[in-house]
Amino acid sequence: MSTYYAGLFADAGILLLGALSVYIILATGQLSLGNAGFMGIGAYITSYLTVMVGIPLTPALIIAAIISGIIGVIVGFPALRLKGIYLAIATLGFAEMVRSFLLNFDTMGGSGGFHGMKHVTVGYIWIWSGGILLLVMILERSRIWLEMRAVHDDETAAGLVGLNTVAIKIGAFGFGSAIAAIAGGLFAHHHVYIEPGNFGFERSVDFVLAVILGGSTAAPGALVGSILLVFLPEMLRSLADWRMAGFGALLVIVLLVRRQGILDRALLRRLTFSKAAS
Amino acid sequence: MSTKSGLPQALCTVLFASVLTCAASYASAQSATEISIGAIVPSSGPFAEWGRANTVTLKLLEQQTNDAGGINGAKLKIVVLDDAAKPAQAASSLRKLAGDDNVLAVAGPLTSSAAEVTFPVANEMKVVSTSQASSKPGVSKLNRPWAFRNTIDEGVLAQTTVPFFKKTFNVNSVGIIYDAKDATAATVGTRIMPAVLKDSGISILNESSPLSFNTGDLDVSAQVTKLKSLNPDGVVISADYSQAITVIREMKRQGLIKPVVGSTQLISSAILKAAPEIPVIAPSTFYATMKGDAAEKFVNAVQPLLRKESGLPAEIEPSMYDANIYEIVSMYIDAIKKTGVTGKPADLEADRTKIRDYMAKLEGFPGLGGPIGFNDDGDVIKAFYVLQGQNGTWDPKVRGCSSVPNHPAC
Repeated sequence: MSTYYAGLFADAGILLLGALSVYIILATGQLSLGNAGFMGIGAYITSYLTVMVGIPLTPALIIAAIISGIIGVIVGFPALRLKGIYLAIATLGFAEMVRSFLLNFDTMGGSGGFHGMKHVTVGYIWIWSGGILLLVMILERSRIWLEMRAVHDDETAAGLVGLNTVAIKIGAFGFGSAIAAIAGGLFAHHHVYIEPGNFGFERSVDFVLAVILGGSTAAPGALVGSILLVFLPEMLRSLADWRMAGFGALLVIVLLVRRQGILDRALLRRLTFSKAAS
Repeated sequence: MSTKSGLPQALCTVLFASVLTCAASYASAQSATEISIGAIVPSSGPFAEWGRANTVTLKLLEQQTNDAGGINGAKLKIVVLDDAAKPAQAASSLRKLAGDDNVLAVAGPLTSSAAEVTFPVANEMKVVSTSQASSKPGVSKLNRPWAFRNTIDEGVLAQTTVPFFKKTFNVNSVGIIYDAKDATAATVGTRIMPAVLKDSGISILNESSPLSFNTGDLDVSAQVTKLKSLNPDGVVISADYSQAITVIREMKRQGLIKPVVGSTQLISSAILKAAPEIPVIAPSTFYATMKGDAAEKFVNAVQPLLRKESGLPAEIEPSMYDANIYEIVSMYIDAIKKTGVTGKPADLEADRTKIRDYMAKLEGFPGLGGPIGFNDDGDVIKAFYVLQGQNGTWDPKVRGCSSVPNHPAC
């Protein structure tokens, strides 16, 4: 594989983690537009630990994921009072708050950004991305996932049958935040430079778009969405100045043809020759 | 439900994407008699005007070179890739140019954020990458020996620009406003300018609470109202020209007619039209009305092409960044001619090393505004000018140099 394609696969792996972080939160019926903020937290904590403290990347990623997960839970509590577009705006505000904080946080370079991370291979990135995708797919076959879907479908009914809807929603927020932090840590060590602008609104939109495009009802949909979002703009280079317009048009066409995203549970079953649950 | 027909539709989507890939690969195929040089410009995204003008400039240089017989008998091909001003796409573009297209050297990327991410890739792939616009301090220094910048550090430029601003407009106090989302603008607005202003004896009225806005903000009335309440002698705007225009228009609307000073990011023909009565002071290494054979020949050749290009303003003039990228590729061409670069695939690594060594030792290259060399940090040594923009034109006021006065490039 050429370094060009290796770089694109690395970007796709990182985007997959970001998309999965949104997918898990979305599975409980919550839309987060603030996952770039958690990604930023993960990127800066991981970089601080590897560059300033000198600990290896893998434990640094785990520590960053735990811290980001805790912050996600804290953010998740006030978010419980909000739904739909209001929750999306609140999480967006959180991400902007994180970006502004990082901009003024001189210990980690502030507006000037932060260097010194060691480059990681595409293989390392995909061990994390593939591993977490597998973990989410296993989770999808568990009772917890059924409870998450129940909260997604009807939160009141889920509460009436005895499910702890608060714990489920907060847990999903925490888990999604932890995954976004891992995406951030890998991003920092793939590009070996980070600045607050890397974790803005556009990044959060990319995560949500990867889920919507790939399919929001099955975890592998995030994989399809991430690969398309990274590779399509590159494939369209022959369109020169019309590249991004062509990319946008293709996205619209795909979503018109496949409203539920490219990969849904029915298509996934057909591709894997498995039967629908009776 | 539409899910029954999902498989063919999904396959069609993937097939369509594959066909596009093949078409793109075919388009990038090259013959053995060509010398390929790569370029990374933002043809889409926030700096599209600069990127598209860069592309026109490079097409001109390609044609001029080939009309003059090519490079050592081989045809020049400049492969231009759009990075949309996104650092990750800039890094991917460099990987494609160096790894798949086998170019000898790369001009670009344009922004400092993109350069921060792309220069390490240039080092990893051992290919020269020279930015046409990055001016954030220390970016090429961190990425020796393959990274260069044909731009002068904003810290160096401010040391000449600010004293001129103070003297010309009798400025003793300023208010600062900057674009917090732009890494270069934020660095200039929060670090470089405050330090140079203090050294020049100018007090910063909002030092403890600097005013900021974000790229894309259309309403900066609150920030400008605050600026006006400070009653400064002058205003520091640290933002690229397209964002600075929003601030200058609002200053005009609120009657805050005070001289403005900023970095190279302010240089554009568009900013002068926003409020012609407000004087704007900014440094530049090139301006469209520059005198001299090389500069005038360049402007006469490229300006009509820029004005014909769709998507660019009808009255556009070549910018400093057009001149910079023209000089960068001209330097590469000179390196290929003078250092025995063969252009053969088997010699690719050796050829790239020859270009790197040429750039590192370069002195007195005839640039559009005077001789060019590079310092040990990979930053250009060349003359610059403090320009005063007012009533629609940029006028040079002070000539400076990015190195000690006795350097050949000065």
